[in-house]
Formats: sequence, structure tokens, C-alpha cells
Amino acid sequence: MDATEEIIVSNDTGVKVVSRKEIGFFASLLRRVFFLEILQGMKLTLTTAFKKPVTQQYPKEKRQAKQGFRGLHALVRDPATGKAKCVGCGLCAAICPSRCINIFTSEGDNHEKVVDRYEIELLRCLYCSFCVEACPFGAVVLTEHYEYSDYSREAFFMTKDTLLDNWDKYMEGPKGRYYLEHFWRPKLEDFCTPHEQAIFKPKAAITSEPLSPVPITATGTAGEVSNE
Amino acid sequence: MNIGSAIELKGLLWDIGVIIFKIAIVLAAVMGHVAYATYFERKVIARMQMRLGPMIVGPYGILQPIADGIKSFFKEDIIPANADKPIFFMAPVFGLMAALTTLAVIPFYDGFIISNINIGLLFIFAMSSLGVYGIILAGWASNSKYSFLGSLRCSAQVISYEVSLGLSLVGVMLMAGSLNLTDIVHAQQRYPGGLYIIPQFIGFFTFVVSAIAETNRTPFDLPEAETELVAGFFTEYSGMRFALFFMAEYTGMIVMSSVAVLCYLGGWTLPPFILKLLPFLAAVPGIVWFVLKLYACIFFYYWIRATLPRYRYDQLMSIGWKVLIPLSLVNVVITALMKLWFTNSHV
Repeated sequence: MDATEEIIVSNDTGVKVVSRKEIGFFASLLRRVFFLEILQGMKLTLTTAFKKPVTQQYPKEKRQAKQGFRGLHALVRDPATGKAKCVGCGLCAAICPSRCINIFTSEGDNHEKVVDRYEIELLRCLYCSFCVEACPFGAVVLTEHYEYSDYSREAFFMTKDTLLDNWDKYMEGPKGRYYLEHFWRPKLEDFCTPHEQAIFKPKAAITSEPLSPVPITATGTAGEVSNE
Repeated sequence: MNIGSAIELKGLLWDIGVIIFKIAIVLAAVMGHVAYATYFERKVIARMQMRLGPMIVGPYGILQPIADGIKSFFKEDIIPANADKPIFFMAPVFGLMAALTTLAVIPFYDGFIISNINIGLLFIFAMSSLGVYGIILAGWASNSKYSFLGSLRCSAQVISYEVSLGLSLVGVMLMAGSLNLTDIVHAQQRYPGGLYIIPQFIGFFTFVVSAIAETNRTPFDLPEAETELVAGFFTEYSGMRFALFFMAEYTGMIVMSSVAVLCYLGGWTLPPFILKLLPFLAAVPGIVWFVLKLYACIFFYYWIRATLPRYRYDQLMSIGWKVLIPLSLVNVVITALMKLWFTNSHV
């Protein structure tokens, strides 16, 4: 038992002077005899007993995820076309630290890029949200959904369709719009690149700008962007 | 066979029937209390740590002890290959037997006692010392270093604290002039204060500390220190045998609390000054006061457990030998001198 008492003196300069004062023999004796420290501890536990418990009974009451929570992945469905916003640029796959995103693309009829497969291995993902930050169009997002435990490994292999389903289930409507505005805001909307630099732009942007696409040779009909 | 001996036989059978009935009631009541003592311990400690405690089985988890009992009954009974099997089987039974036998001499209210013997307190000491055999045998028979260390600690601890436990109650014995627990309560009723805790506060303090050590509860739970010894002496036990140790520990807690209530807190009676102030309280049956005081004591056990960390082994020994035993010896001397002085002045 430490028989000292801290005295904190604050003077005009705002500096706290902390000194220790030895308490007297009788005071320390009284402290020892009446177990002052143990009594203080017991008072603390008794007062805590009447406070509201912090426990949340999980399956019964669920905590609302905080805004910007990084949960299950989704591919944003473009409300105009009803298809994924993803253009298959592969930036998300390139930045992914655990290399869990696979993208397979091919050339379409009008020489545009078509995303054939977009796959995420959830068991390897570390939810860093780099893919969301890297995406120029806000096409891949992390939803607030976090209860997706399952019994098979296959259930954690997300394909393009399941990722689009995730969007419809968890982020469709004003919530998704709010998130796109505040958390997943694509860089395209805030930063401009010089005109002469080649950038990825959605289809609508391409048609509005007089930028002719570079004709692709016959050997590159099935371009593949993959990390493996 | 003549008529007289037939009547005698009938009376004997009646007595035996009454005793068996009493034993059944006491056992059922105490076992129910043991089961729900675990539940309330979990609840009280949970609330003191801002948790909820058991909530799933039944409303507010009220059926949790029953679920625990069923679970431990149907669990696999694992016996270590190198265990000393007969002793391994016997040890938990031994511990529980010693704890339950003590209940025979505890008067729950005036006249309700299984066996009203004159050496009630001495019998309780003897049986609580015997309960240590269950622990030591369990530790020895398990053939495991954790169990063995736990049981060694337990034997040293209980032997040290047995002394101060006995000495702390000597003051009560001196004041009451009896070892019979019913007589002790009656003597408290005659005493002006109504409670022996007032003159015997030193004895009460040493008794409470030694009782916590004697029942191996926190902060003196070194025999089963789970952070150091896995589970101490019952590391190798599982299923129902483990539950028997658990029951023995909680029965010991109830017995020690009952002794505290009977010897210091007036048992089933209320102090006269409270009865004078609130006369209608005399209509309440004595068992209610006994049980309320018992619950307060058991709550104190939980409260201590929720607050204090475990003492170091040398601290435990120095508290026992350097603080509690001298204190209780001083208490004995003071009580004896006061008694001598008062009785002389009266005569």
C-alpha cells in the first residue's frame, strides 16, 4: 500500500506541477487498518453493478454498421443500363495486396472492352478497400453487409453475377447513392487528367468526346487483364 | 415382545422417519441453493463487469444451472491413464461428503436442526478440515503436475487458515459459553446488542478472511488458480466428478456463511433494538431472516471475487500467520478478560 498522495498544482503559466506528499503515520495506519484501497475497489464494483451493461445480444439485437463499414463486396449496377459499371480496366486487380481479384475481358462487336468474368475470392480478401479507392468509376464497392458465413469454400467465391446481386440486396437505392457520394466517390469526379493523356472513361463519356479509339489489331481480339 | 418395547420401537421409527425427512428437506434446499448460487454468482459478477451474464436458457438465463447440470451429467468421464483410479474416483465424493455432513449441525431456525449436538462448532471445523482430503487426494491421484501443485498449495493454505478460523470463533464460544450453535444464537438474543458482530468485530473480520481462504475462494483461490495451474487440483476431472467438486465448493461457501450468520449476525433472530423500533417484524418467521442474512454473506463472497485479484502465495502465508492469527489471539485475550471482568462485577 502506497502511503502517498498526489497534489497537482496548476499555476498561471499553465504548467502542472505535480508533487508527492507523504501522509502521516496515523493516516497511513488508518488506511492499512480499514483497507481503504480494497474498500475503494469494492465501492467501484458495486456502483458498476448498477450501470447499464454494454453487452449486445448479437443474434437478437444487431448493431447497425458504422458508415463507411467495409463488408461484403458488390459490383455497382448502373441504373441507366442495368449492367455493371465496371469497364474491366483492372486497376482494382492491380492494387489488390492479396491478389484476390481476377478480371477476364474480351473485345466486343464495336471494339469495346467487355468484362467476361469478374471474380473475388473473399477468403483471401483483407478488406483494405484499396479496390474501391482505385476504381475510377466507383464500380466496385464494399457494402455494410457482414453476416455471410457459410459451410463451403465455394460460397465465398464471388462471380460477377453474385457481386451484382449483392448490390441489389444491400446497397440499391438512396443508400447506395449516399455511399457513392460520400465514401466511394470516384476520382473521376474530382480530378481531371490532361486531355492528351489516355484515361479510362465510361461509355457515355466516350461518345460525348471526340476521341477516336485506337484500332486494335486482329491478334489482340481477346485481351486479358489478370493478375495471375 | 411386550407393549412397552413396541411403543419404544414405534417411537424410534418415528424419530428415524423425522430425521430422514429433515435430511431430505435440507439436502434439497441446499442443493437448490448451490445450483442457483452458481447462477447468481455469474449474474452478479457479470453486472459488476458491465456484462449481462447467462441470458439464453430460459428468461434471463434462469434455467442455466439446470442446463449445466444436465450437460455435466452426460459429459464423457475422462480418467487419465496413469491415475490412481480408486482414489481418483473417491476424492470428489470425499470432498462433497465432508461439505454436506457439516449441514447436519446447522440450525436453520429455532429447533430445525438435523442433529443438535453440543460440539456443533467443533464438528464443523473437523469436517471442513476433512474436506481438504478430497482436494489432496484428487491432486495426488490425478498424476498431473498442475493438480499436484494445486493440492499442495491447498493443504498448506487450509492448515494455515484453520488455525485463525478456529481462534476467531473462540471469542464467540467464550461469550456464549457453548459450542452448540442453537445455544450461541440464544445467547446472542440475551445479549443487549443482539449481535455478536458488535463486540466481536475483530473476530468477525478474521473469521471472514479465514472463511474465504478455507473455502478456496478468490482472492485466496490458489489451489485452483486457473491462470497458473490450469484448474488446480481438478484439472484432470471432467463431467459429473468435476461437478461434485463444484458442488462441494459452493456447499462449503453456504456452510461458512451459515456459521457467520449464526455466530455473529444473530442467526434467525433480529436484535432487540430493531424489534423495539419496528415491532411488526417479529411476525416474520425466523427462517426468512436467516436466509436473508445468508444471501447477504454469499453476495459478499461474490462481491469480493469481482473486486480483488489473487494474492501471491507468500502474501497469503504472511496474512495468515502474521496478521490473522495474532489478531484472533488478541481477540481471545480481550474477550476472556472482559468476560471475567463483567461476570465478577455482576456477582
